[in-house]
Amino acid sequence: MTAARRGDLRVALLFLLPAGFGFVLFYAWPALQTFYLSFTDYSLLAAPNWVGAQNYRDALGDARFGNALLVTVEYVVINIGVQTVVALLVAVLMHRLTKSSFVRGLLLLPYLIANVVVALVWYNMLDAQLGIVNAVLSWVGIDPVAFFGETSTAIPTIALVNVWRHLGYTALLIFAGLQAIPRSVYEAAAIDGASEWRIFRGVTLPLLRPVLAMVLVLTVVGSFQIFDTVAVTTRGGPVDATRVIYFYIYEKAFQQFDFGYAAALSVVLFAILAGLAVAQLRLLRAGSSDLD
Amino acid sequence: MHNKLSKPAALAAAVSLALAGCAGAPGGGSGSDEITYWLWDANQLPAYQACATSFQQANPGTTVKVEQFGWADYWNKLTTDLVAGTAPDVFTNHLNYFPTYAGKNQLLPLDEFVARDAVPTDVYPNDLADLWTTQDGKRYGLPKDFDTVALFYNKKMLAEAGVAESDLANLTWNPQDGGTYEKLIARLTVDANGVRGDQPGFDKSKVAVHGLGLDENNGAGVGQQMWSAYALSTGWTYTDKNPWGSRFNYDDPRFQQTMGWFRSLIDKGYMPSLAVARSGTSVNDGFGAGKYALSTNGSWMINSYFGYDGVEVGVAPTPTGPSGKRATIFNGLADSIYTGTDNREGAWKWVKHLASAECQKSVGEKAVVFPALPEALAVAEKSFAAKGVDITAFTKPLAEGSTHLFPITDHAPEISAVMGPAIDAVLSSQADPGSLTQANEQVNALFR
Amino acid sequence: MTTIGTGWRKALGWAVLALLVLITLFPFYWMLRVSLSDNRALAADADSLLPAGLTLGAFERVLGLASLEEARAQGGSGASIDFGRFLLNSVLTSTLITAGQVLFSSMAAYAFARLRWPGRDAVFFVFLTALMIPPIFTALPNFVLMRDLKLLNTYAAIVLPFFFMTPFAVFFMRQFMLGISREVEEAARIDGAGHPRIFFRIILPMSRAPLATLALLAYVTAWNEYFWPLLVGQGEGVRVLTVALGVFRSQTPQGSPDWAGLMAATLLAALPVIALFAAFGRRIVDSIQFSGIK
Repeated sequence: MTAARRGDLRVALLFLLPAGFGFVLFYAWPALQTFYLSFTDYSLLAAPNWVGAQNYRDALGDARFGNALLVTVEYVVINIGVQTVVALLVAVLMHRLTKSSFVRGLLLLPYLIANVVVALVWYNMLDAQLGIVNAVLSWVGIDPVAFFGETSTAIPTIALVNVWRHLGYTALLIFAGLQAIPRSVYEAAAIDGASEWRIFRGVTLPLLRPVLAMVLVLTVVGSFQIFDTVAVTTRGGPVDATRVIYFYIYEKAFQQFDFGYAAALSVVLFAILAGLAVAQLRLLRAGSSDLD
Repeated sequence: MHNKLSKPAALAAAVSLALAGCAGAPGGGSGSDEITYWLWDANQLPAYQACATSFQQANPGTTVKVEQFGWADYWNKLTTDLVAGTAPDVFTNHLNYFPTYAGKNQLLPLDEFVARDAVPTDVYPNDLADLWTTQDGKRYGLPKDFDTVALFYNKKMLAEAGVAESDLANLTWNPQDGGTYEKLIARLTVDANGVRGDQPGFDKSKVAVHGLGLDENNGAGVGQQMWSAYALSTGWTYTDKNPWGSRFNYDDPRFQQTMGWFRSLIDKGYMPSLAVARSGTSVNDGFGAGKYALSTNGSWMINSYFGYDGVEVGVAPTPTGPSGKRATIFNGLADSIYTGTDNREGAWKWVKHLASAECQKSVGEKAVVFPALPEALAVAEKSFAAKGVDITAFTKPLAEGSTHLFPITDHAPEISAVMGPAIDAVLSSQADPGSLTQANEQVNALFR
Repeated sequence: MTTIGTGWRKALGWAVLALLVLITLFPFYWMLRVSLSDNRALAADADSLLPAGLTLGAFERVLGLASLEEARAQGGSGASIDFGRFLLNSVLTSTLITAGQVLFSSMAAYAFARLRWPGRDAVFFVFLTALMIPPIFTALPNFVLMRDLKLLNTYAAIVLPFFFMTPFAVFFMRQFMLGISREVEEAARIDGAGHPRIFFRIILPMSRAPLATLALLAYVTAWNEYFWPLLVGQGEGVRVLTVALGVFRSQTPQGSPDWAGLMAATLLAALPVIALFAAFGRRIVDSIQFSGIK
């Protein structure tokens, strides 16, 4: 048995070689570099100076960093909450109603459009005075809403715009998971006379677990890195209402040239995300399969 | 197995070497007989391409490669290229970035070249050339163009309100009651029932046309095209001295009263709320759609304001303030040379050509911006006039001496990061103008 | 559970789906409407559902058919575009990225999902953490690397960082490979098949459905990549469509973009991918229906 394990290790290394090469070169090495820079005072345009944990101490006392975290969490909760539920609904509906790749293709269309353009189009459509959405609302007698401009609605608006872009994509991932569930399982449940809801709760959801876990980990981590939409619309405002963490890091790094501090903030963000991913994977037992 | 591992190991070594050289090592740029030049405004690309052609004719053997990137991409790409040492030999520089780049030794001082070739720097109006020198007196750019702020107005709305265009040349303003300027704004504001802002029964909750538009950009601590014309006309100044002041004056009552007055326009319904202004389209598009009768903006926006179908536009100078003078920020762009260029002589020749009357005149002919040299400005004035645009509202403050240089200081990005949200909070009534005293302390702490 | 009840439920399901499709499509109609408009007329006609001052000018600008003067007169910039060339570059780089990424990530996923070796889950998690590294921190060192390898302005520079893996692709394939029944594999091993054979002959064919999905997503992502190719592939010869169309984004700090041009450019850039899906969509569906996953 131990011999067999060792044999697997050699094969595994071979299979991992190309991906591992790319990982080390284009991800791990830059990440280590960033980690090192987080302990320095580095302005990008001059050599870094070692300052120890100073950047991390500064981050602890940085109220705007705290605010950025809060704003980002609000965004993630709305974005992921709405997106996951609606995507699951869409995937199940598609699975039950139609295998048409046309419908799936339609729903995937927004994903073909770059983030930045999606943001600009919605920014334009949602304007309080000239936007078509408010024009339609006014036809049915609703007063105009300054979706992006109001402190209270800006983050929910940005979250929903990104749901629009990623809905089809998320639904497609879940749909692929649904297709991997053997048809015989449903047939057995149907013969037992179980209701749709019970089949969903008792059969579909548990079998979908590995895929759902993956989707959640991917979308939550991606959601925390919200940047483009903010950068081309609200740019952090009004006041600090949409100054999400990644935008704050970007401002520090490339506008204020405080790259060392930005690196420290991104290490903190990295730690939060890694912790979150571990928790999600544990909770959803994503790694378990019937085979181990 | 060993063979397979050696390749990534060798590459990893290459990477560490690469990063070791990442701290802005010079030696980049393009080949020695080719000068790379960057700019961000596609509208000016044809004019500068023409300058490059005439330059190449005069300097056989040297070629100029002009590249253009949109505004946001421009600075991200430039910073990356500066770090990697592959930045362009010459690039269009902006005052937001110039102090940082100069302070980090990314720009080549021009003084030796200027002295050697006896290039005059006193030919520019109102100290424009001073913007591009650092505290130690070194020069990092030659001005290429300038801009000022004025008041765009919708001619038809003026006529409907019974206001003569000539009245706009003599507007007065003060932070207490807003003077004749606020009366005009009120007169031009119309609610959904057709009642004007200065008439009884005006419904400020249902405004169809706001007298004055509010810019969609966060003006941060400068408010260039938003509120600087009012604040500066009280006699207030941003800093103790300019350029290179080290103490800001956001705690001055004159400034805070101005911001209080500016916000009161929103409360009265004469100007849209901050939320509406920030909700999507630009202030110029709002003006083009007939949502605003007046809009203060910079000369760089002329072609946008005059480009709307069916909107007749005029421009007036900003109002005269309590100091007895009107005021506008006076600002501009320059061309800078990258320290890492491998062809300093060629780069300088190109910069000198860009600042020459020949090149600036050809830029003036395109009627896009105001060239910095007076003789080229005269050319631009004619070509703007040919397009039906009278630019005297923008150039008048130069002759009157009512221009104020853009505030040049260290820490500009950090100041924006403090003042942007602080001014937002005031304009959205989440804080009082008095709160700006505290923001001012934060700003001034940066200089200690 | 009567037939009428089922019918009603189906109708409700379709209604929900139709509503979502409508919400999905409306912004596309809006983009089309703006792209067929004249920039100068857009502001005044903001609340009309029809194009403002109907014109094909924006498409002509994007395709480089309009002269400089025409473009400027329509509120566009004077930049010209060699659409065909940039399209070819996009197809080439996206195809290369997709091919490499799907193959190599599947191989890695196989090692993580089907093989047993010490430290497997830990190594997998390390791979996964690559998801959490903000791209602004990888772009700079990777750019410097490309400079030192003398690869700036080559296809290689545009392709390489995405060629060997993305954490998403590895994660995605691993999750699906976890679900494949071990029996088939065991049977093959008894027949004397080695791991490469099992991987290429059994696992990959059985994973056709997720592979197709992954390839599609990888292709779209590569197609939309903007900042990286802008950094390393600005040269005319290798410039991809997104970078070329960046001309239509905001040119000046305060100026408005060429709205009609931007929308026309976006739609035109999306069209080739849509065409690709239309051409291969049936094949993807077929592969899913006949895939070995039961």
